[in-house]
Amino acid sequence: MIHFDHLTYTYPDAPYATLTELTLDIAEGEFVLVAGPSGAGKSTLLRCLNGLVPHFTGGILNGSISVAGLDPVIEGPRLLSRIAGFVFQDPEAQFVVDRVEDEVAFALENAGLPPADMRVRVEEVLHVLDLTPLRDRELETLSGGEKQRVAIAAALALRPRVLVLDEPTSQLDPQSAQEVLGALVRLNRDLGLTIILAEHRLERVLSHIDRLICLPGPDKPVLSGPPGPVLHQMDLTPPLIALGKELGWEPLPLTIERGQAFAKETVAALGFQASGQNPNPEPLKPETLLQVKDLSFDYDGTPALHDISLTVGAGELVAMMGRNGSGKTTLLRCIVGLLSPRQGEILLEGESLVGQETADICCDIGYLPQEPDALLFADTIADELAVTLRNHGLVDSPPIAPADLLARLGLDDLTTSYPRDLSVGQRQRVALGAVTITRPRLLLLDEPTRGMDYPAKRELVRLLREWQAEGTGVLLVTHDVELVAQAADWVVVLDQGEVVAAGPSATVLTASPLLVPQVARLFPGTGWLTVDDALTGLNFDPA
Amino acid sequence: MLDARGWLLWALVALVAASSTRNPLYVVLLLLIAMIVGGVCAGDRDRRAIMSPLRFAVVAIPLAALFNGLTAHLGDTVLFHLPDWLPLVGGSVTLEALIFGAMNGLTLTTIFSGFTTFNRVTPLRDLVRLTPRAFHEAGVVLSIALTFIPQTTRSLNRIREAQAVRGHRVRGLRDWLPIVVPFLISGLERSMGLAEAMVSRGYGAISDQAQPPRTQRLLVLGLFLLLAGWLALLFLPTWKGIAVGVMILGAGIIVGVVWLAGRTVSHTAYRIHHWTARDTFAALGCGLTLAVILLPLPLMDRGTLYYSPYPRLTLPPFDLFIGLGLLGLVVPAVIGAAHRVDQT
Amino acid sequence: MVGLYRYPPEVNVRRFIGEIIYALSGAIGMLAFIYPFFLSNQANDSIGIAHGQDAALVTTALVGLALIALLVELQGQAISAKTVAVLGVMVAITSVLRFIEVAIPMPGGFSPVFAPIILSSYVFGGRFGFLMGTFTMLVSALITGGVGPWLPYQMFTAGWIGMTAGWLSRVMPHTPRTRPSKRWLPRTHRHRPLTIIVLSVFGFIWGLAYGMIINLYFWPFAIGPIQQAWTLGTSLGETLVRYTAFYVATSLGWDLIRAVGNMVLILLLCAPTVRALARFQRRFHFEVRSVDA
Repeated sequence: MIHFDHLTYTYPDAPYATLTELTLDIAEGEFVLVAGPSGAGKSTLLRCLNGLVPHFTGGILNGSISVAGLDPVIEGPRLLSRIAGFVFQDPEAQFVVDRVEDEVAFALENAGLPPADMRVRVEEVLHVLDLTPLRDRELETLSGGEKQRVAIAAALALRPRVLVLDEPTSQLDPQSAQEVLGALVRLNRDLGLTIILAEHRLERVLSHIDRLICLPGPDKPVLSGPPGPVLHQMDLTPPLIALGKELGWEPLPLTIERGQAFAKETVAALGFQASGQNPNPEPLKPETLLQVKDLSFDYDGTPALHDISLTVGAGELVAMMGRNGSGKTTLLRCIVGLLSPRQGEILLEGESLVGQETADICCDIGYLPQEPDALLFADTIADELAVTLRNHGLVDSPPIAPADLLARLGLDDLTTSYPRDLSVGQRQRVALGAVTITRPRLLLLDEPTRGMDYPAKRELVRLLREWQAEGTGVLLVTHDVELVAQAADWVVVLDQGEVVAAGPSATVLTASPLLVPQVARLFPGTGWLTVDDALTGLNFDPA
Repeated sequence: MLDARGWLLWALVALVAASSTRNPLYVVLLLLIAMIVGGVCAGDRDRRAIMSPLRFAVVAIPLAALFNGLTAHLGDTVLFHLPDWLPLVGGSVTLEALIFGAMNGLTLTTIFSGFTTFNRVTPLRDLVRLTPRAFHEAGVVLSIALTFIPQTTRSLNRIREAQAVRGHRVRGLRDWLPIVVPFLISGLERSMGLAEAMVSRGYGAISDQAQPPRTQRLLVLGLFLLLAGWLALLFLPTWKGIAVGVMILGAGIIVGVVWLAGRTVSHTAYRIHHWTARDTFAALGCGLTLAVILLPLPLMDRGTLYYSPYPRLTLPPFDLFIGLGLLGLVVPAVIGAAHRVDQT
Repeated sequence: MVGLYRYPPEVNVRRFIGEIIYALSGAIGMLAFIYPFFLSNQANDSIGIAHGQDAALVTTALVGLALIALLVELQGQAISAKTVAVLGVMVAITSVLRFIEVAIPMPGGFSPVFAPIILSSYVFGGRFGFLMGTFTMLVSALITGGVGPWLPYQMFTAGWIGMTAGWLSRVMPHTPRTRPSKRWLPRTHRHRPLTIIVLSVFGFIWGLAYGMIINLYFWPFAIGPIQQAWTLGTSLGETLVRYTAFYVATSLGWDLIRAVGNMVLILLLCAPTVRALARFQRRFHFEVRSVDA
């Protein structure tokens, strides 16, 4: 149904082609996942399907595409909107009007359908996506998952045969992501809708897909086929797959359940006895860097934080987890002085931070907000660092030489680039540079791995470990269990403004079914959290 | 409750009525009508908003009275005399001039009140839907703007905090730059994402966007006639009738072009407001008022509309029939009150 | 698909006719501006006393028609989705500023709205500027509850502020007219101080002019008919004198503050804003053109 024939595309002003001689086939009714590192061309590929490339973006396109018999390059996005619906990453930036029903009807209005037909279609689409109780709501008041479902509904209003989604869950928390993915699976299964999805967190969808397309990057061939074989050829994969590849599980298990069967086999074959002992000895609690004591905060009278206490030691990485709205970001903002707590104490190396101005506090604490783009406005990366130095009055005596910091962040060959032109991972590192140029003793990171691919995440973990080795403490707020498994020494779990669990990562992560990493679920009772833990623990020799 | 088009008609008729008469009794009647309609039909029971025309009056009427009294030196009842050598204000200050000024202030207040009511009774979204089909793009721009506005404060706060986190303090005007510039850039980047989303949902095709050349040429003709007629009206007083005719023709052509342009737009509207019997009643009421004001109907003394305090202050006359005709504007309040009674 | 740089003859004819439309509607606007001075020429007949207010209504209607004609013309030439989206966002941002102006008491007539309109029009061109000015006035009137008979005048005038700012950019381009070739080369456009000064003087002049225009519109409503004596008409000279008095007493202070405010804002914001907007234009190939590639 969808056919790419030697497609080569170059963005305007780009030095090299983004897609080269791409040839692919996708059959009707398939659920397709497009994976690959950032910048490899996933978004470009998807946008070719409905004609956004090249009609919206410009550039030079060679080769041909066929979607359900139509050529998007010739027909253009308006006509293709009836064949291919598109959903974008940012739930907020897709809406034209303020009400759910009207937004869904927007596509129908553009197509010039008579009002009676419009009504029928809107009802239909709202029903399919369980949005009927929300139909009169204002879009602003909806959660991220609900907004994305509305975006899907809006794309489906014209009854397209293909639904294309560009990282629809990367800005959402895990529950909302599950909601959206569940809706997609239902659409594919019940309606036979062809779905093409780009996603970084492969583990969320692997068990449902029919085809996996991997764009590994320039100069490497594009892989396309059933998930198992393609995963074998991919470098960076979720822990379950990585482990499966190392331990030679065939066929590669795509779900934890199947993986558990293999795990049992392997354990039996290697004669390994789960000792029940934690391989990671309990870390000694280092000297305290940050201490939060009995902190309470109210938003307009409703309590948001209640008697929170935690500590972060020098060189320690503490992960803070919890559902959306449990108060994690609020706590970070209290520490940094953006919010004033009702009661409680915040001490950095013994000194109280309560009542100080944010600008002063941030000389000693580096805070990376959820959206690092809000920080970037200078013309070059070097200027961004200079701005921070100027704000703190440290231009003449920078605590770290900017060139050194840029080298450490891996940005030294991009010193004169415009920050907002860079990839997500690179922008985040620029923002990190901007807040760490003052050599802070403590780092606060709010959801740093949202929308990041595996290489960028690995890079971040490496950076954090370097800083930790120098004695910097890190407080990391995240939903990403695998990240916590890899990087954290201590985990604190918040729920509804209270601390409900705190302890070494192995203890806390294995205690709650919602927080268990994949490896721990495969090998329960061993205390292993990451692939490396498992391989070491099994004394597995990859030879 | 009432259709937005009906309210627009109401507001325009109120404007014409208030502008067409100088008789303070009629103007006060219109003011009361506007306030009553606003009080009954607006969704919010905001006492401050209901009383705002009176606050306006308290400022406007004395100011206007004073200004006119000091600058116009006509009228018989002299209150006091300023030395003649003073530029403009020199001369006698008369009671008639003060009253005339006060009447101006009163008219202003009434116009203000009419439009305040209009603003309060029509929800924003309905007003946007009023845009004619020829201006479909304008309607979309308005929709986007209204949808984006609530997000702007959040965006600004986010950026302000992000800059605070890297040591930025807002002390002077210059310090707003690191907040304004990223705000602008992120807004623009978001608009590109929005454009992509719109295009993906079928917005805008090359084929139906460019207007045929006929539209342009008709516009030129219409504007030219309008301009020529107006100039003729000003400088050739003998050809007044023809001049007015030419102007009306020009205006008609322009309106016709709008209608024609609307026909080539292939977009349809999802929410259609149906014109109900209530709207017809309200429109009839407006029509009655308009007729009474503009047309020389029998039984009415139109001279009472043109009251002037000069040369000597007299009591303003009042014609009952004209007064009743003006009450046509109060129909929406009656409908609103009946509606409320129905609901309880 | 690459955009066309040589326009076919039909497009040139269209542009020419378009410019005629701009000229005609501008003329109607200017005539509306000076019309009240000519009211004294009107014959004094039985409906003469109320004539002053009729004149205001008629002027509003005429300005409204000229505005409608201009909008039809501007929209008639392919507004792409990109332009609509950027317009929507820019109008939203600027309208929020107007909201602030209403909510927080500002000195006199200071309005932060005009500086963004002027700067955006300077970068994106006259057509964009007219639409931005017009819609900003409309949207800000909608959100502040300020819809009134003065709205067509505000929209028309603000539109022309945008249009003329766009014309400035033809005379004083903000970027060199060559296509950039490589994306990663450093882009630092040293902003000529002359441009900043010219734009701020431009803002000053329009600050005053805007006030004068709106005030003149408002005058017949506020002050009533020119003839207050029912026997004699007043001469043009005396009308002019009375208007000057009215203006000085009511509006001049306000307008001066607005003009100075515009100037200060532009001096402050010009360089970084124009740079940001120009960069955005380059990155996203955003151009308001007749044929959208």
